[in-house]
Amino acid sequence: MAKTKADLENFSYHGDNLDDIFEDYEVMVNECPVGRSKRYGGFAFLAKNDDIFEAEQDYETFSVTPTMLLPDLEMGMPMIPIDLDPPEHTGYRKVLLPLFTPMNIAKLEPGMIETARQLADEVVEAAAANNGVVDVSTLFARPLPTIIFSRLCGYPEEDWPKFDKWVDDVLYERTEHPEIARAASAEILRYFEGIISARKAEGGERNDLMDKIINARVDGRELTLDEMLSYSYLLFIAGLDTTAWGLRSSLWYLAQNPKAQQQLRENPDQIPAAVEEFLRTMSPVQAMARTCMRDTVVQGQEIKAGERVVLVFGAGNRDPEIFEDPHEIKIDREDNRHLSFGGGPHRCLGSNLARKEMVIGIEEFLKRVPAFENAGGEVWHGVGPLTVRLIEE
Amino acid sequence: MSQELYIDPKRCQGHARCWSIAPETFGIDEEGFAYVLPGREGAYDEESAQKAIKNCPERAIKVRDVEVGK
Ligand code: SF4
Repeated sequence: MAKTKADLENFSYHGDNLDDIFEDYEVMVNECPVGRSKRYGGFAFLAKNDDIFEAEQDYETFSVTPTMLLPDLEMGMPMIPIDLDPPEHTGYRKVLLPLFTPMNIAKLEPGMIETARQLADEVVEAAAANNGVVDVSTLFARPLPTIIFSRLCGYPEEDWPKFDKWVDDVLYERTEHPEIARAASAEILRYFEGIISARKAEGGERNDLMDKIINARVDGRELTLDEMLSYSYLLFIAGLDTTAWGLRSSLWYLAQNPKAQQQLRENPDQIPAAVEEFLRTMSPVQAMARTCMRDTVVQGQEIKAGERVVLVFGAGNRDPEIFEDPHEIKIDREDNRHLSFGGGPHRCLGSNLARKEMVIGIEEFLKRVPAFENAGGEVWHGVGPLTVRLIEE
Repeated sequence: MSQELYIDPKRCQGHARCWSIAPETFGIDEEGFAYVLPGREGAYDEESAQKAIKNCPERAIKVRDVEVGK
């Protein structure tokens, strides 16, 4: 049965709620552009593309403090830089901006292509050993971003196998089992404390992300250990899982759309546009939270100072006022001003990296792996398995 | 009167969509923010520039009137 306005009282954008969340969005954008859910202590939500855009720009009314995450990760400290508003935010962000420019990301391209090819080869081999059936999430969508991001950050290679579990525990257990998330967070922080002290002891320069954080100067001073840990933790949580989701959901779509698959195989130059469309419709970040700092009115609805406010990017990405046939995935959509990387001062720092990884990942996958179809019936969201069957020509 | 393309620096957040759509018209600086390449200010009516305007998530690419001869 289709959802109604009453269902939005229990709106959540985590876990199983994502299974049919597009039905919530449909009700939101058409009947309830500003509403309230009782979940996670209660929050107001904004669903219209323009309202979300305005709220992101207006950080004096919609602050990211105490945290952008809902429910909260209970870290006992703000995550740098996403939980800080300008002007405080600006200095921290500047430290890493130069590393994430498209020119700098382009330097990583040869390594990305090589890794994507190796992983795609492993997919083909694994399928050959298992009657053509293979989990392309575990073998491709997840390891590709983990390897690329870990290299960029300078995490020692022998540690990489530990990462996925930590990230899963933090991001996917926190709503149901916060104690598991807390334990994983503590381990991650301990891990970074070890890296930071080892690097300080060794000295020297490596020009990777960890070095930039350790040697950063903000307002003329060095970062404290807590600040370094907070920044490292945030990058770790943000850099690994999101791109894996982006790649997995793209492959999920292609597995059930042989025509789109064929089109992108024949026209790899169309992959960048397709990636934008996958990001619009299946974004790894469906919503982010703010706190209302002063009484305000959106779409005629009052929002009070102190209320938590969720910007539902996923709904704004399906706003019929902005997108024609908003629920349809059109891989050649031309105008695609989606909200998936956020906007305003907190625009995803890694957006250029994520886009490049997705484009290269899909291109190399399609080059090496023959036609494939869905064989596991898994859901569209998350970073869990994605079982496909390679089709013999 | 004629018109020119410009980037509103208060709005631009470095998504680099403009540069990937119309690299002949937009450049990206060291920190990742966009600028209109010198000499390309008049390109606002070209198809790729229009596409960039429509795809800039911050609505930072704008067109303004300028006095001729300036
Ligand atoms: S697309 Fe817009 S926000 Fe992004 S770099 Fe270009 S002008 Fe700036």
